[in-house]
Amino acid sequence: MPALKTNLGKYPFYRERLRADGRPEPWTISELESFASSHPGDPYAGRTDPAMAAAVSLQIEATGEPPVWIALNSAELGQWAGAVARMWTRWGTARGETIAFFEYGSSPIVLLASSGYVAYLRRGAAERAGLTAICNDGVATMAARMVSIVEAVRPSMLVLRRELVTPFAAALESSATSLANRVRWIALGEVEGAPARDEADRVSATFGVPVHRILRCDAAFLLAGDCPGCGAFHLDRLYRAETLASHEVAVTARFARLCPAVRYNIGPAELLESGCALAPRAQRIRC
Amino acid sequence: MLNQPASVAEPFDALDSLSSAALDKWWIRRLRKVFTLAAERLPFYRDRFRAAGFDPARFRTLDDLRAVPISNKSDLLAIQRKTRSHNLGIEFEADAPQATVTLSLSSGTSGTTFITHTRTWTKMQGRSSCRAHWWAGLRAGSPLLMSAPAWHSYAAIQPFIAMHFGMPCVVVSGTYLPRFADRVVDAIVRFRPRFVTMFLPMVFSILATARHQGIDGDRLFASVQTLVVTGAPITPGMRQHLRRLSGVARVAEIAGSSENLLAVDCERAEGLHVVPDTCHVEVIDRATGRAAAEMERGSMVHTSVIPAGSVYLRYDGGDAGVINREPCACGLPSPRIKLLGRWEDSFTIGPHVLLPYDVQLAIEEEVPELSGAACVITREGLARGTLRVLLAEPEHAAASLLDGARAALSRRFGVPVEVVGVLDLPLRFKGVPPILSEQEAASQL
Repeated sequence: MPALKTNLGKYPFYRERLRADGRPEPWTISELESFASSHPGDPYAGRTDPAMAAAVSLQIEATGEPPVWIALNSAELGQWAGAVARMWTRWGTARGETIAFFEYGSSPIVLLASSGYVAYLRRGAAERAGLTAICNDGVATMAARMVSIVEAVRPSMLVLRRELVTPFAAALESSATSLANRVRWIALGEVEGAPARDEADRVSATFGVPVHRILRCDAAFLLAGDCPGCGAFHLDRLYRAETLASHEVAVTARFARLCPAVRYNIGPAELLESGCALAPRAQRIRC
Repeated sequence: MLNQPASVAEPFDALDSLSSAALDKWWIRRLRKVFTLAAERLPFYRDRFRAAGFDPARFRTLDDLRAVPISNKSDLLAIQRKTRSHNLGIEFEADAPQATVTLSLSSGTSGTTFITHTRTWTKMQGRSSCRAHWWAGLRAGSPLLMSAPAWHSYAAIQPFIAMHFGMPCVVVSGTYLPRFADRVVDAIVRFRPRFVTMFLPMVFSILATARHQGIDGDRLFASVQTLVVTGAPITPGMRQHLRRLSGVARVAEIAGSSENLLAVDCERAEGLHVVPDTCHVEVIDRATGRAAAEMERGSMVHTSVIPAGSVYLRYDGGDAGVINREPCACGLPSPRIKLLGRWEDSFTIGPHVLLPYDVQLAIEEEVPELSGAACVITREGLARGTLRVLLAEPEHAAASLLDGARAALSRRFGVPVEVVGVLDLPLRFKGVPPILSEQEAASQL
């Protein structure tokens, strides 16, 4: 994928942070929220071209009041779904298996799973990987239903919202249901950022299943999964990361043109260039 | 055309312009096809048809439906327990190698079964659901708010609807629970949809949240021409109440279930038209198992006419309702139904088997000033043969209103009635009074 070549000066959010070299200063989600507060008429906080119509607008869960939105067209939805499919495939999937989501249907990792979940997505990640998808929403009170899904649908992979770990574990225990030898992996996600490695290890011990972590930043269209080999988050080819002087890492989503995400500062992290045996060319982030 | 007194002002397609007799013929052809395919390819139906001596080749009139065995959630749960699989033998194409499948979850609270959505199902159900939304007033040229992404059966057709009408799609974060109401308010204010579909209890949460932000209902829904409520039957008084609170000219109702029951208000709002290319509907007398008389309460039994994905044939989903086959002035040929609630929520008091809907309706008919007030029917009252209603008093309500309600309900039902005013009840109780113990009601505040 070619580098993003967009005149960022036409986007109000970037215009005020453009440097002489044409690149914007790295920005954080709080800076996006500040811009949104001072420009309440624009749901996208100055990051879209009014001349381009969004097929899908998605409210960023991690943003406060007012919420900020991202916009995508059909092609971008497809590219983002491709990155999700490659993440799952790296963790191991087999055609014909089922992936279950214990997460809100509005979360990008769920929405991007199927063309049946969001309009204008031609092939979702599950469709690309040949998987059946089922979502139970992300509500803790529905934990008993998660167990029903495990028992009757027998998913091989689970995507689990971090705050549902405890109720799900309790529901499994009360029905004497075990995930060990039944589920290949669990992917643990957070609203913004990633769960800590030691927390993932604890969850893995609780369920008796390998647990992968998801790095999620909706404002930057970022979804990355950790690597079973090196433990770092592998960035898909759709993204480009750079180390900042502040020892933080900024990420650019190269496929996002309708609502560019250029130099999003994900916070303190270590950027590892190529070198993992499982994906030698992938950029990696350790955080 | 004898049964067709009016022509449809804006038909979705030629199916809307059939006479009711022609629609019956159309239904017979579709039903025979679905029954034939089911007998050939779906083990659940093949076995049941054989046991009942039903031969799809002999299906010639809608009266022949009586020969088709009725199934319900318990039948499906029994198979699920036995096979320990979500595939119940009612699914077309589920195991085809190239099938693109998503699963969603069944309606109701009596156990979960799983519904298979294939690409063919999405196309057929999607088009039929477009018809339903068209009847409810949806037109191109406005964004579509996704109301239940991914997990609900309704979500499985919303993307199709958006694309059919060329509507941009707006996805609100979180889920459709009251604690996310501020997010939905933000979406409505920013994207100005002309058509909004909402679960009934959520409408009140959204209105309350907006009011808290200094936005009244008129302003919140300023762009909205049709507000569609779903998930609970609304009384005429509740419809008026919603109109008053939201300022929306048309408040429509969609009744549906994950198992392919679908019916929608036309502009007349005098019953919900069965959406014919989704299902055929009968109302069955619970005692005799025969067709209930016109407008007489019975069990809603529906048959999907879509031979794809999970197929529900003569399925009793546990809903109580009535059917009206009289021609509608709107000109649509399909009969109208009204779902009144779930049998599992019914209760016996005196000589009556009542639903919470009956209590809601009685309150608003007897004391219109109390229309839309949240209320609870207490278990303690029912245990001693008394209809005891906790009712959130509307602002400025006089005590005489509650006394009036008590006397009127007592006259109407011929049982002892107590109506107790309380300061507050959760908004989700509005429209569908739950049956709770007083302790449960208090703990939910």
